[in-house]
Amino acid sequence: MTSPTSFLAEPSSALDIPETPDLDRMRRETGARLRSAMADRGVDALILLGNNSVVYATGVSWPLGDAGLSYVERPVAVVLADDPHPHLFLPFREGAASESGLPADHLHGPVYLEFDEGVENFARVLLDLIPAAALIAVDELTGAMRRAQDRLFRSGRPADAAQIVGAAKLIKTPDELACMRTACRITDTAMVDVQAALAPGIRQIDLSASFMRRAFELGAMASMLEPIWQVMPKYKADGVWTTHGDLALPLLTTERELAAGDVLWTDVSITYQGYCSDFGRTWIVGQDPTPRQQAQFHKWREILTAVLDVTQAGTTIAELGRTATKANGGARPWLPHFYLGHSIGVNAAETPMIGTDLGDEFDENFVLEPGMVMVLEPVVWEEGTGGYRSEEIVVITEEGWIPLTNYPYHPYGD
Amino acid sequence: MATEVLADDRALRTGRRERALAQMEKHDLDVLVLGRQANVRYVSGAPQLWVAGTRPFGPTCVVIRETGAIHLLSTWDEGVPGDIPHENLYGIAWNPINTISVLKGINGAADAKRVGTDALSPGFAQLLPVAFPNAELVDGELAMRAARRIKTSEEVVSLREAIRVAEVGLAAAVAELRPGISEKSLAGVLLEAMAAGGVSTPSTQDAAWVTSREHPWRRASDDGIVRAGDLVAFSAGVLDGGYTGEVGRTWPVGELNGAGDLYRRWDALWDRLHEACQPGAPAIDLLTAYQAAGEELPPMPIARGLGLGFDPPVVSQHLPATAAEERLEPGMVLAVTGYVWQSGVGAVFGREAVLITPDGPEVLTSSPSWQA
Repeated sequence: MTSPTSFLAEPSSALDIPETPDLDRMRRETGARLRSAMADRGVDALILLGNNSVVYATGVSWPLGDAGLSYVERPVAVVLADDPHPHLFLPFREGAASESGLPADHLHGPVYLEFDEGVENFARVLLDLIPAAALIAVDELTGAMRRAQDRLFRSGRPADAAQIVGAAKLIKTPDELACMRTACRITDTAMVDVQAALAPGIRQIDLSASFMRRAFELGAMASMLEPIWQVMPKYKADGVWTTHGDLALPLLTTERELAAGDVLWTDVSITYQGYCSDFGRTWIVGQDPTPRQQAQFHKWREILTAVLDVTQAGTTIAELGRTATKANGGARPWLPHFYLGHSIGVNAAETPMIGTDLGDEFDENFVLEPGMVMVLEPVVWEEGTGGYRSEEIVVITEEGWIPLTNYPYHPYGD
Repeated sequence: MATEVLADDRALRTGRRERALAQMEKHDLDVLVLGRQANVRYVSGAPQLWVAGTRPFGPTCVVIRETGAIHLLSTWDEGVPGDIPHENLYGIAWNPINTISVLKGINGAADAKRVGTDALSPGFAQLLPVAFPNAELVDGELAMRAARRIKTSEEVVSLREAIRVAEVGLAAAVAELRPGISEKSLAGVLLEAMAAGGVSTPSTQDAAWVTSREHPWRRASDDGIVRAGDLVAFSAGVLDGGYTGEVGRTWPVGELNGAGDLYRRWDALWDRLHEACQPGAPAIDLLTAYQAAGEELPPMPIARGLGLGFDPPVVSQHLPATAAEERLEPGMVLAVTGYVWQSGVGAVFGREAVLITPDGPEVLTSSPSWQA
C-alpha cells in the first residue's frame, strides 16, 4: 500500500462524531475520497465486484451472506471519475433498503459476471457508461470476464482497483466513524449477556447462538465472521501444530463443553450500515484469575497504555510496534502470523497492519493521520497461564486518540 | 458438528478430489490455484474460518494434477486431513511476494504449462507468472464448476444434514412471528436456533422480511416491524460442513384477505416447477413453468445449484441462453424458488431443495407451509 490519498475537501473534525450517521453525506464524502484516489492514479473508471468495496463505493449495505452464494448474486459498482454518483447493478433485495440515495438512471438490474452471457450483457451496458479510451481499474476478474477482456477493458489491461479503494478507505469520515461506533456499541451490549451465561458445561456454540440472537435484536445487520471462543492451551507445546511453532489463532468453534478454568480468547465482528465492529477479550470459565494470570492482564495493560501514549497523528506505525515490544521486555507482543494492530471499516481488518511480513520499511513509511482507525490487540503469553489478549479500537486525532470500544475486562479487572 | 474440528470424511474427500482431477485433465490444467472457499473446501476437505461476503482473490490452495498433491494456506493443522502433510501447509502472509515465493517452490510449479485460477485480481495476474514461469494463466473455475455440478452420494448426505439445520432455524423463527416483532429479531431467532443446532455459519443473514403490498419485490417496512395482515417471508440458509442448506417459506400474520388465493397460486406454480425438475430436461423449462402458470418471473434466479456455495445451473430471466443450454442431470441438487405477488396483499415466497434423481425430482425440504 502506498501513502494515503490526498483529499478534495477537509473532513470535519474526527472528534465530532455524530450520534446518528447521515448516510447521504457519508456516501458523498466517501465518494469524493474514492474519486480523489482515482485521480491520484490517473484512473477514469472503477469496476468493483468485491462486496466490501461495493459497500464503500455506493453506501448501500445489506446482510452479507456466504462467499459461495455471494459470487453469483452480488451487487456490482461502476464509479466514474467525473460523476458524483456511482452506478449500481443490484440483485434482488440486496441493498434494497438504502438504494434511494442514487438517481434512478444509476440503478441497474442484476448482472451475472460468472457467466459468459452475463458478462456480454454487462459489456454492452459499459459501452454507454465508459469511454473507449478510459483507463479502467477492477478488483476482481471472473473467468468469464477474463474471456471478454477486450470488450470490458477497451483501452487495455485494467489497473488494480484494490489499491485505489484501499487508499480511499484509510481515513474515515465522521459518519463512517458513527456507523462503527454504533456497531461497537451493539457488540459490547450483546456481549454482556453472553458473558453472563459463561459457566462450566456451556458449549462454545451456545455462546455463538446467544451472541447472534442478541446482536441482531440490538440492530446488527450481519455477523462478519463465525464467533470465536478459543480455549487456550496452558503450554504452547499442548497446542495444535503450527507452521511457525507459536500459538494458533483463531481456531474454530465446536460443540465442545467448556470446563471450569478454561481460558478463552474471544473474537467477534458485526456490521451496522455495512461498517464493522471488532471485539476481543480474554475470559476465564467459572473462576477468578490466578495471581499469575492476573499478572498477564497487567502486562497487557502496560503494553496497551504504552502504545496509546505514543498514538497520535504524525506517529509511524513502526513506532507503535517498537513501543509495544519495549513494553513487553523486548519480545514482540503479537503472534507471528498476525500483527499488533490493524485498521477497520467496511472490512473487519483493513490496512495498515502493524508488524507483519510487509516488513519494517512499510511500517516506517506509514504515518498515522487524523480520522484513521486502529484496532490494537497485543498478545501476552507466559507458559502455564493461557495468556491474555484483548482488543481496543481507537480513532486517531491530532492530539492523540478517542476510543470506540467500551467493555470491561472482567474477570481480570474493570 | 463435533466437539473437535475435523477434516471432511475420507469418502467425501476422495470422491470430490477424483472429480476435480478428472476435470483438470479434461480442461488440460497442470495446476489449479484456488482462492474461493467452496473450491478450497472441495479439494482439501479442511474446514476454514467463515467470513461473510466475497473475498478478494488470493492463492489459498494449489492442486498439482500430476501428483495429486494439495498445498494449503493454513498456519495450523487442526482440521487438515492427514493426506495433506505438514510440509504442504503454508502460513498466513500479508506480503503477497512471500506467498508467491512459497508457490514457486512447489514441486511441479516450474514446468507447469497451463495454470487455472478460480478468479483473478490484476495484482495476482502480475505476480503468478513469477511462481509459474512457463505457464499460461487460464480460467480454472469452469473446471471446478464442472466437478461440483454433480454431487457424489456422500455430498447428498451432507446436503440433507445442512437442509435439516436450516429447517430447524426456519421453524424457530416462524414460531416467534407476531405483530410488533422486528425483522431483525426474527433473523436473530433463526440464527440462534441454527447455531444451537451446531452451525454458526449462515449462508444467508437476510432471514426475514415483510413483503410489499405495493411493489412486486421491494421491502415493505421502513421500520422493519411486523404488523397484523403482513405476509412475512423467511429464508433460512446454513453452511454446514461447507454445504449450503436452504429453505424458504412465507407466513401470514393473522387474518389476511386474499391470502388463500395467493397461496393457491403458489401451489399451482410449484406443481409446474416440480414437474420441470426432470433428468435430461433443459433448465429453461423452469423459466417456462412461470409463464405456463401465468406468473411474472421474479428478479432473483428461480433455481441454482446447491453444494459448496453456488453451483450450476443458475436459472434466471437475465440468463436465458445459459438456461437453454443447460440440462438437468441426476445428482444435481437445486434450490428452486417459487414467487407470486398480488397487489394489495403481498408476496408468497417459497424455496425448496430438489435432488434430481434418474426417476425424477426428490424434494429434500419438508418444512410445513401455511394452509388456507
